[in-house]
Amino acid sequence: MKKMIVFALGLLLVSQGVFAATVKIGVLMDESGGTGDVGKPYGEGIKDAVNWFNDNGGINGDKIEMIYVDYAYKIPQAISAYKQFKRQKVVAVHGWGTGDTEAMVKFVTEDKIPFFSASYSQHLTEPDKAPYNFIVGPTYGDQTSAALKYIKEHGKDKTVAFLYNDSGFGRAPFFPHGEEKARELAVKLVDTQVIGLKDLDATSQLLNMKKADPEYALIQQTYMATSTILKDSAKLGLKTQYIGLNWTLGEKLVELVGDAAEGFMGTSGFAFWDNEEVKGIQFLKELNQKYHPGITSRPVNYIQGFSSMYVLLSGLRLADKDYSGENLKKVYESMKDFDTMGLTAPVTFTPESHAGVSAMKIYRIEKGKIKPITDYIYAE
Amino acid sequence: MNYTNCGNFKCSYEKDAALFQTLFSRLCIGVFLVMLVALPFLMDHYFIYILNMILIAVIGAVGLNILTGFTGLISLGQGAFMAVGAFGAGYLSSQVGLPFFLAIPAAGVIAALVGAFFGIPSLRLKGLYLSIATLAAQFIIEFIIIRAEPITGGVQGLSIDYARFFGIPINDDFRFYWLALPLAVTMTLLATNIVRSKIGRAFLSVRDNYIAAEAMGINLFHYKLTAFAISSFYAGVAGSLWAYYTTIVTVENFTIMVSIQYLSMIIIGGLGSILGSIFGATFLIVLPEALQFISNMAAGQFPAVSQIVGALKEMAFGLVIILFLLFEPEGLARRWRLIKAYWKLWPFSY
Repeated sequence: MKKMIVFALGLLLVSQGVFAATVKIGVLMDESGGTGDVGKPYGEGIKDAVNWFNDNGGINGDKIEMIYVDYAYKIPQAISAYKQFKRQKVVAVHGWGTGDTEAMVKFVTEDKIPFFSASYSQHLTEPDKAPYNFIVGPTYGDQTSAALKYIKEHGKDKTVAFLYNDSGFGRAPFFPHGEEKARELAVKLVDTQVIGLKDLDATSQLLNMKKADPEYALIQQTYMATSTILKDSAKLGLKTQYIGLNWTLGEKLVELVGDAAEGFMGTSGFAFWDNEEVKGIQFLKELNQKYHPGITSRPVNYIQGFSSMYVLLSGLRLADKDYSGENLKKVYESMKDFDTMGLTAPVTFTPESHAGVSAMKIYRIEKGKIKPITDYIYAE
Repeated sequence: MNYTNCGNFKCSYEKDAALFQTLFSRLCIGVFLVMLVALPFLMDHYFIYILNMILIAVIGAVGLNILTGFTGLISLGQGAFMAVGAFGAGYLSSQVGLPFFLAIPAAGVIAALVGAFFGIPSLRLKGLYLSIATLAAQFIIEFIIIRAEPITGGVQGLSIDYARFFGIPINDDFRFYWLALPLAVTMTLLATNIVRSKIGRAFLSVRDNYIAAEAMGINLFHYKLTAFAISSFYAGVAGSLWAYYTTIVTVENFTIMVSIQYLSMIIIGGLGSILGSIFGATFLIVLPEALQFISNMAAGQFPAVSQIVGALKEMAFGLVIILFLLFEPEGLARRWRLIKAYWKLWPFSY
């Protein structure tokens, strides 16, 4: 009986069919799950990008229809949403996390659907392994390289420690990439410490780290663990300078940590709301005034979401109405130095690399504002 | 029809132990099987995908029910045992080059051995204490998988090829269905037979009163470990199917949440009932899809509603379990029996 109902519902869905010239985009986002705190603003950025395109001519006249699914950071739900997208004939998908994006690499390859995601994992950028996956942003590995380069240039002792959590996300930048890069640049890796993503106390790990007394420590965490580290570090009076990768640095951190965040540095491929000198930020401020008059500030995740979707949709525009997977792949791979209005470094995809952005700036928190302290640093 | 005159009388032991008690039940199961075979031809790939997920979940849930429902040993490690099966199948197919029809049972056996090992504390521990011990298994196995990089690929996991059947890659939902369906049917049949044999009766006696069982000559150690091994074998097969389905095996697929989900399946379906495991698995796979469907429908008219439904999906999971524990502690299986009994006597029930 249940199967009959499911079947009947299926018929109903199919019969709704496709009409008018619309381009369908599937969006998979986590708003209610483990990464909802950063997923929600990211999703808002995506929505605003779609709205802006629709208000400015769509995709060469075709209207964009976005199918937005909150998958609560659960892999099976992500896959089921993806299967729905496929049935509704989306031309491209914007996804979210590392685990679910990787679980779908084979499906996406088989179905030839370009898949953008917010997981800056190295192997999603290698076209021989994941030919239809693209990311707009520097990979974790590139961020580590840039941070180590900075240490090599500015450090005195040139010693570094890695603070990470024991997950795919946590280990990705450091093992083996970070270790090798440190050796190559003659930056001495003196300690590694595991701190859980949701730990509220890192005193023992930091005391252990104190014995090795590193000049710098790289952090791969999200806001929560980063705020724990910074608070405990201030309490213990450590002199180590922390540099976090992109998910550690944001307005939210300043809010959580307060004064102890002062001087914290981080790598980011994306501009921040305070960087008014950036053209794209001006653009976004005007956009928000128009769409969301009440909102005066946006977290960096909003900017990430907007930039990523902006690149995805611009690619569709360049595709000139041929939305087949093969053609879209070709179009994206021919994007060279694509301008995102300064929100990121110019975006370049090639048939050899699907990491759109390989340059980033290092930012520092000064008086509660996030300011760039370097120009673009290229990873290689 | 389904008439058994005024009670269900048997004249021989063979009839009493028969798998299908009446001709009618034999017919029903036949029609059901024909339906299962016909369904994928009538559906598009999204619904076949849901069927596939149900089939995988059925295997895992039936296994857990043998351990928790029939033997009374609560396990919070089903997700980890599935991981062992998935990585086992992944390793065997990508590194050793075994074809899927050898890799899947082999993965099951590996999972069974690991499960039996982690079942050893069950001899001394019961109830809540045992569930904490199996919880430890969940974390230990996750930890080992992340560390054993040469075998499991560490946090990046394994990428394997699609299963190939005489050169045909099983690379879409339709083809996978024909891999999952026979396996699920066989495994369910096997479980039904296990629980109505000597082993099954031993399991029941261990659950109901282990002192009496031991006094009757049942070797507790032997049967408790057997229960763990059988249950983990099922988990291993379910895990390896999942591995062949997505072809990417990462430890993030098999977290503690998976274990809890399987436990909820058998609670909702009915502890100590094979049929219940099937109901529970179906219910918990269809529930989020149905909520998503409602959310999509609502989003058309009221965009704001879709956000609430998104969060509601999370709540619904917990809510459903609480409601079931309150109103139907014996699960969907009992509800099914009540419905059947109602129709048997309709319209002249008393």
